[in-house]
Amino acid sequence: MANSNLPRRIIKETQRLLSEPAPGISASPSEDNMRYFNVMILGPTQSPYEGGVFKLELFLPEEYPMAAPKVRFLTKIYHPNIDKLGRICLDILKDKWSPALQIRTVLLSIQALLSAPNPDDPLSDNIAKHWKTNEAEAVETAKEWTRLYASGA
Amino acid sequence: MDSEDDMHDANDIESLDDFYSGETAMDSDDGDENYGFIDNDSDASDDSTSHRPHRQQQNYTILSDADIRQRQEEDITMISTVLSIPRVSASILLRHYNWDVSKVHDAWFADEDRVRRVVGFLEKPVHDATRNVTELTCGICFESYPRDRMHAAACGHPFCTSCWRGYIATSINDGPGCLMLRCPDPSCGAAVGQDMINVIASEEDKQKYCRYLLRSYVEDNKKTKWCPAPGCEYAVDYVMGSGNYDVTCNCSYNFCWNCTEEAHRPVDCGTVAMWILKNSAESENMNWILANSKPCPKCKRPIEKNQGCMHITCTPPCKFEFCWLCLGAWSDHGERTGGFYACNRYETAKQEGVYDEAERRREMAKNSLERYTHYYERWATNQSSRQKALQDLQQMQTVQLGKLSDKYMQPESQLKFITEAWLQIVECRRVLKWTYAYGYYLPEHEHAKRQFFEYLQGEAESGLERLHQCAEKELQCFVDDEGSQTKDFNEFRTKLAGLTTVTRNYFENLVRALENGLSDVDSHGACSRTASSKSRGGRSKPGSSRSGGGSSRGSGLDGSTHWSCEHCTYANVKSATTCGICHHHR
Ligand SMILES: [Zn+2]
Ligand SMILES: [Zn+2]
Ligand SMILES: [Zn+2]
Ligand SMILES: [Zn+2]
Ligand SMILES: [Zn+2]
Ligand SMILES: [Zn+2]
Ligand SMILES: [Zn+2]
Repeated sequence: MANSNLPRRIIKETQRLLSEPAPGISASPSEDNMRYFNVMILGPTQSPYEGGVFKLELFLPEEYPMAAPKVRFLTKIYHPNIDKLGRICLDILKDKWSPALQIRTVLLSIQALLSAPNPDDPLSDNIAKHWKTNEAEAVETAKEWTRLYASGA
Repeated sequence: MDSEDDMHDANDIESLDDFYSGETAMDSDDGDENYGFIDNDSDASDDSTSHRPHRQQQNYTILSDADIRQRQEEDITMISTVLSIPRVSASILLRHYNWDVSKVHDAWFADEDRVRRVVGFLEKPVHDATRNVTELTCGICFESYPRDRMHAAACGHPFCTSCWRGYIATSINDGPGCLMLRCPDPSCGAAVGQDMINVIASEEDKQKYCRYLLRSYVEDNKKTKWCPAPGCEYAVDYVMGSGNYDVTCNCSYNFCWNCTEEAHRPVDCGTVAMWILKNSAESENMNWILANSKPCPKCKRPIEKNQGCMHITCTPPCKFEFCWLCLGAWSDHGERTGGFYACNRYETAKQEGVYDEAERRREMAKNSLERYTHYYERWATNQSSRQKALQDLQQMQTVQLGKLSDKYMQPESQLKFITEAWLQIVECRRVLKWTYAYGYYLPEHEHAKRQFFEYLQGEAESGLERLHQCAEKELQCFVDDEGSQTKDFNEFRTKLAGLTTVTRNYFENLVRALENGLSDVDSHGACSRTASSKSRGGRSKPGSSRSGGGSSRGSGLDGSTHWSCEHCTYANVKSATTCGICHHHR
């Protein structure tokens, strides 16, 4: 089994994620690979994603925690910092990663990103442009997508 | 035809005369223009040989590995002392401000708190591990360890040794960013200095870190660069704003500090970049194909025309015979087309405009290619001639100098004039080489400038040829010949040293004139043209045989327009009564 010599840190993190989950976030390891997590994030209230349930996948590479986890949205989402492949533009997943960060902090940051889109640092140019030129309309589209793709999967 | 014309001529000959002697208005820095040769002429001193070909006052310093280290240490010590901070902090601070000592000063004394925040210097720990616990939990691996196995930066955030080691190793492997390492705690940002690296990191990582630190001192510093010669480990510290970018490394490589290409005076960095791009451009090959080949009308393979005859036979297996001009089958040619080898269908077609466009494009491509080839060939020839001269110089120093020293009973120190001559040849070949890139980019419509330029280039070439010949052939006679007297050798010394000085002066003025964009020509371009053709006497038609520049190779100065100084061999213009170099009377 690939999980035989899982670092103590990953085991502890996993235990804590399961025993004291962060509000609106669930993360559970896959049965055949303890480094692969199925994640669900609830759309934050007061955001265009409210009421949506967003699925993500999270993978801990061999170098973790010296290297950042790899995270990706599986549910389609209309957001200026998330592209159509679900990749996320978030500094702590790249150059601002620190081994003292954890899965929990990463997921909380992603949740916060849903509450506060940042069209000035876009991953998806079209959506960012839409956000900047007509925010109300962009928010409507985001709500529409949430209804279409993220409701009660 | 009239007096005005004559006056122009007179003026111009004078200015050309000045051009040789190094006393023109282009001479801005008179200070170092008192050549040793002139000064010491009276006592025929050998001091003339103590002058190096690069005599501009040195505006750069070559730094060895040890020099770099020492300078870095000195800067760190200075900042550490003045700011009363540890050396490790001084190093981080200097790195942050790209090793600019005065910037560090300014920033620190303007707002110390801000600087501390930015670089991550904490005055006291932000994390207070409870004093009396014996075990702490590492924030990375979540294991508990006794206090003494934990480490923390100034902030106090504790991580275990192995996590620190992994953290540092990851950062060092990611590159020079490790020089700005921070505490792993994401909310912290406390700087992690070399002191911690030295305590925790593996031996290999420590050395990598040291290397990055040293490299940073050169690479992040605006006034230093590595010597671009392959394998060379010297760096060059350059005095910014001091003009001339030519740098000679201790490895003997000569390069431009600004663009780090090989030294290229009198051509500017932009022209060099263009020229290098031009040389590597695939488009030239395309032009060549376009100009010299056409597709076979049957099999479409490009066929090269390398004979005058228009009857082309494609290569096997095709072997199609066709007419180069009209691309029609050769079998169609004959009486009907106006004779066997004189196809008039081309002319007819051209009149009808059928082949006009394609033919015109081909013609243009061919012309531009010929022009480029002309300059490129001469550029490349001087380049290889320079390489050869460098080899000869080495041979000279390792073998011939010793022989000469024995034969004429001269200490080798007395033979420095030979090395000087060769160094001058090497330098002149380099300059001459770049004048061909200069010529290539000199606009065609600036006729006066072009003619003046080509005249100067031609003179430079023949002058250098004279020196090269003297240093090569005449010297060889003294090496080989058994009957030569010490007296003859001393005369030879005077001649070669004189030629070296003359050539040096000429080339230095040439470089300045070209760097000034031949601005002298602008004001009275017409007379330069007159003068340059006149001063060449009947030897050549204006702007014809000389237009190649390179064609003048080996042709010495014409006896009807110049007289050679008996004392120093300098070729003076006919009108001069005293030598422009040594002031001896004719
Ligand atoms: Zn640890
Ligand atoms: Zn810290
Ligand atoms: Zn070098
Ligand atoms: Zn340059
Ligand atoms: Zn053919
Ligand atoms: Zn024909
Ligand atoms: Zn003289």
